[in-house]
Amino acid sequence: MRRSLPAVLVVLVGLVLLLDLLVANPTLASLADALVELVVILFAAAAVLGAVALAVRHGRAVALPADDRIGSVVVLVGMAAVLVPGLLAPEGAAAPAVRWVVGALLVPLGASLLALVVIFLVPAARRGMRARPAETGVLLGAACVMLVLLLPLGGAVGDVTGAAADWLLAVPVRGVLAGLLVGAAIATAVFAARVVFGLANVDD
Amino acid sequence: MPNLGELVGRLVTWIGDLINDSSLRLGIAPTVSLLVVVLVLLSLVARPSSRWITRDPGRLSGIGRGMALAAEAGATAALSLGTAGVARASSAAERLQTIAVLPLVDHVARAAARAGVPIRISTDDPVAALLADAAVEAAHGATGTRERRRRSDVEFVGEGRLPSAGLALGVEEGRVTGFMFGGVAEESLLLVHGLADGPDGARIGTADVAQASSVLLEGTGTLVGADLFAALADVRTTGHARTAVMATNRLIVVAVLVIGMAAAWALAGGDPRSLLGLR
Repeated sequence: MRRSLPAVLVVLVGLVLLLDLLVANPTLASLADALVELVVILFAAAAVLGAVALAVRHGRAVALPADDRIGSVVVLVGMAAVLVPGLLAPEGAAAPAVRWVVGALLVPLGASLLALVVIFLVPAARRGMRARPAETGVLLGAACVMLVLLLPLGGAVGDVTGAAADWLLAVPVRGVLAGLLVGAAIATAVFAARVVFGLANVDD
Repeated sequence: MPNLGELVGRLVTWIGDLINDSSLRLGIAPTVSLLVVVLVLLSLVARPSSRWITRDPGRLSGIGRGMALAAEAGATAALSLGTAGVARASSAAERLQTIAVLPLVDHVARAAARAGVPIRISTDDPVAALLADAAVEAAHGATGTRERRRRSDVEFVGEGRLPSAGLALGVEEGRVTGFMFGGVAEESLLLVHGLADGPDGARIGTADVAQASSVLLEGTGTLVGADLFAALADVRTTGHARTAVMATNRLIVVAVLVIGMAAAWALAGGDPRSLLGLR
């Protein structure tokens, strides 16, 4: 019963939403809308509870000497820096202080973290060469060929390399990516069907 | 003494005679429909077991070794559920991955529970954290190791994709083996690099093909694209399910061969029904 009830609920909700997609019926549409709204409310409540759990966790870490106190203090101060002005100001999340924190701190921090991708590519390549030299060699070789072909060269050489780069991107690269995408899409559709029809034991 | 060619020729003739002597009871359309329904249902329901397959997708069979190394070193295992979540504003295909990989999480959590290795699961979605927590709880219950449950941990690291990546890079705690299953985006290289820092590396699975290069560079074992969903079938099933899948696959091969022969016969100007012995 503990396992069958969630499975039955998943099947029922899935079938109602599926039917609403296929059949135009006012009663069915209102039922589907109500279910979607319920899901949105549940997710919002889960987000609030998640934030509370995060604050409690790091509050406890500040109290315990063995944990990373500085990191936890930074997390708590960061949460407070967004939450307190947002709660105090009448504009809420659109308050200037909140917008400043987001625009002047969060966005640059995120951009600088993503910029690390370029730097971490080198140790990633080294690690790949150590673990699987043949496959990583092919991967890096293909990347090097593409880089050379995409160099901004002029004249007849530039025309040839540009045309070769275009062909590589349009035919083999796009073909491989399309194949992977089709495979992933079919697998996703089959898994979704299994969930909707209660065949996937996601609670196993 | 007949030579090999004559033997094969007689065999083919005998099979052809057998087919020629047969007829369909229900007609072509109902028979094909029934076969398709049965084959599709079998494909959907049955799941093969990793004990019987010859390949090892994602090097999942090495999870036990990784956990043994972690147990020897007194270290932890880290697992990330990706950055797509369940209740986050990401695409439905990405969020479905988070739900789809729960059997893999359960598989890893069981291996960790058996080996006595604390597992640290991180996610940027509170609903995914709840699901992972239930998986860890169930794993300890199933392995009879509830007393070790408190050593493992499921953490909601905060909203957004970058906290997960930053935390994976910045954690100083020694870990021997890492895992990442689920949807990722441009932060994938950072997230995977942090998780793969231990001596056993990281087993990575995602259906986001745009991130395939990061995964292939960093992962000890990788599940890319449809492999992620296929691997679910390999982690834990019963023997009869495996048998059903093998039977299904063979039936599909036979069906494809017969259809191909009929098509070739038709292209050559023959009547496919005469080839199949249908009247």
